[in-house]
Formats: sequence, C-alpha cells, structure tokens
Amino acid sequence: MSTNLRKLVVAVSAPALVLWGTLASAHHSAAQFDFGQRITVEGTVKEFNVTNPHTEAIVTVKDAKGTRDWRFEGHSASHFFRAGYTRDMVNVGDKIAILIAPRKDGGDGGFIQAFTVNGKTVGFGNLSPESGKPLDSANATGSSAPSGN
Amino acid sequence: MPLSFSAVAKAIAVTAAVAACAAVSAAEPAHPDFTGLWTGHREPGQGRVSGFGGPQAGLPLTEDGKKRIEDYNKLLGPERANPAAYCVDYGVPTVMELPGGYPLEFIQKPNQLTIIYEVENETRRVYIGERQLPPEKRLPSRDGYSEGHWEGETLVVKTTELLDGQDQAGHPHSDKATVVERFSLTKDDKGTKLISYEATLTDPVYYTAPVKIARKYEPLADGFIIPYRCPDEFWYSLLDLRREQVKEGKPGNARMSDVYKAREALE
Repeated sequence: MSTNLRKLVVAVSAPALVLWGTLASAHHSAAQFDFGQRITVEGTVKEFNVTNPHTEAIVTVKDAKGTRDWRFEGHSASHFFRAGYTRDMVNVGDKIAILIAPRKDGGDGGFIQAFTVNGKTVGFGNLSPESGKPLDSANATGSSAPSGN
Repeated sequence: MPLSFSAVAKAIAVTAAVAACAAVSAAEPAHPDFTGLWTGHREPGQGRVSGFGGPQAGLPLTEDGKKRIEDYNKLLGPERANPAAYCVDYGVPTVMELPGGYPLEFIQKPNQLTIIYEVENETRRVYIGERQLPPEKRLPSRDGYSEGHWEGETLVVKTTELLDGQDQAGHPHSDKATVVERFSLTKDDKGTKLISYEATLTDPVYYTAPVKIARKYEPLADGFIIPYRCPDEFWYSLLDLRREQVKEGKPGNARMSDVYKAREALE
C-alpha cells in the first residue's frame, strides 16, 4: 500500500483499495502518455476493470526496482469487446503481458495497446484513445485538441 | 328538391372515405427508413473526415469566438481535460461525427427519429411533423431541440436551443446557434446502403460564416450496441467506500467528495 493510500484510509476511515479499479479514468486524459513509444510489461493481474470511459488494470510487477503495483489505462469497454475481449478472459492472479504506450513522466504505468493472457492476445490496432481511430489517421487531421475518449 | 337523409349520409360517407384515403396516403409516403445500427463510412483511401470536429484552425471565427477558445483552453489544464472523460454528452453537431468511433442507432417512427450514440447513451429525439414542443417549454441542452420535416426523400432537421459552450474538440457554439442537418439514403459502389449526412452550423456570435460537416454512415457489421454507463461508476465507488465503513462497524456515511478525494490521493 502506498503512502497516498494510507493517507486516504485516514481521511475517510476506509481502505481505499476498492477504488483502484473505478474512477481513475474520469480524471485522466491521454495527454500524459507517449504514443510514439511502446514497451512491454509483464506481471500478475491484481485488478482488471473493463469499464467506461476507460479501462483500468492493476498489475503487480517484479523487476530490478523491486515488486510493486503498476496502474494502466486502456480503451473503453466498447472498444475492448469489439477488439475481441470476452468476459472472464482476465482474472485476478493471471500472468499477463501488456504492450503499453508509457507515461511521459517515466512513472509506472501506461496506456494499454495490446495484452496477452492465458495464450490469448487482444490488440487495439494502434488506436488513438482520444479519437478511437488509428493514430496515423487521427494525426493526419492536425487536430490539437482531444475530440473524444 | 331537398336532399334525403340517406343521400346526405351517403355524401358524407363518400367524402369521409375520400378524406380517409387522402389521410392514409399523406401519413405513409415512401420516406426512407433510417432505422438500424450505423457506423462511420470511409471511401477507399479516404482519411478521417474532418469538419466542425476537425482542426480549430481554418474555422471562420468571430473575435468573440477566438476569445472563447482562448479562455476555454486555459481551463483544460496540462492533462487537456475533455468532457468525455467526465461522461458528458458530445452534443450537436459533434456527436454526429462519431468521435471515438462508436456506432449510432437510429429508430424511426412517422413522427419521431430517435438517434442514440453508443457512448454516454447520448440520445437525440427529432420530432417530425406537426407535433412539436412549444418553444417556451424547450430546455436548452448539449443536443438542443430538433425539429424535422421531409423534403422529398431527405429528412431535414433543424436544431436550436443549444447551450452556449464547447464541444469535445473545444469548438464553441452560442445559444443563438442553429444546426440544419440533411439525412438521405444512398449506396456505395458495392450497393451497400449508406446514410448521407450533412450539417450546417450557423452561429452569428462565434462564426462569421456557416460551418459545414458532411459524412456517410454504413451498417454496423457486428450489429449490436454495447451498454455504456460510465456515470454509474461514481455510485458504485460510493457504495464501495460505505461497504468498507460498515465492514469496520462504522456508519456507512462516506460522501461523494470522499470518492473524489480518494482518486486525487491516488494520482
């Protein structure tokens, strides 16, 4: 549990872990991710919430820095299902490999571009999280402002 | 010679029958039926169709329009906040450009075309014909009030009562804006049925000239709308917090502000 989480528990007299999987997307925007880069992160699924407007996943990652939870965002539930996601495809405790657009600030986390779990892969075809369209095409319009989710 | 009762009755009956036939033919002309599920259509090799929802550069903005965009940009913060991340409707006309690439459902009846965008369950009701809400009873909203009529095989929809504000791409429109849309059926080279869509936004406050959008919709291949209920997450989060409180033997009295605090603490 992070320091921030402990503060939260004190503030509202309730463990806040339950909130990991719900509201993050409402406060986030894709502007914080670098869609020009891709990295793959492997770990164990702690939470995998396919929700709107954005999906959120918590994955426990072990690397040289130690063991910790990374938080990922992804496309909406609609895009997940249309990309081939099915209910119960991902469960707590599953080993997962996630291809992400990393955070611009270098922090733990990123925007999900594809993932493989239990031998099945779901990919989002390089879709922009803002327009839902292929990034090259979306960029071609020169639009500087987010046009959607 | 005075008409007999039966002659009068016969005359009335014949007149009524003629009127009834006229009424039937007037009520059921061969209008196109847009009912079904639709998604964005691109011509082969065509990039994203841009219009009002496209680049801000090039729009014929008044000075007030430019200032409105500058002021709004100052409110978006470093994360470039946008309404969809807060589960807010896209609004007319942007919603018709299918931002985010989600499908549309059209449900057509003689006196109403209902348009539901998958995201946010954003719903438009276009009232067709004589039955209209009086102007003084129309509540301004992001989708406004839409009144439709047929011009031949084209459904022409006029939308007013829009809120002064910005769409998802930051484009402003005032509460004096009017959007006129034209819906008609067409086909692509392979004979697939398409909807041809055009919209013209006229706004004397923020634009010096009308702004136009044109695009086409094609049938949705997988044929289903997926439920999209993101505002519900706030309620479930509040319940989660209260459930934890109750589990600890405390009163379940967390507030929505606590949900927001929890999120802030995690960022």
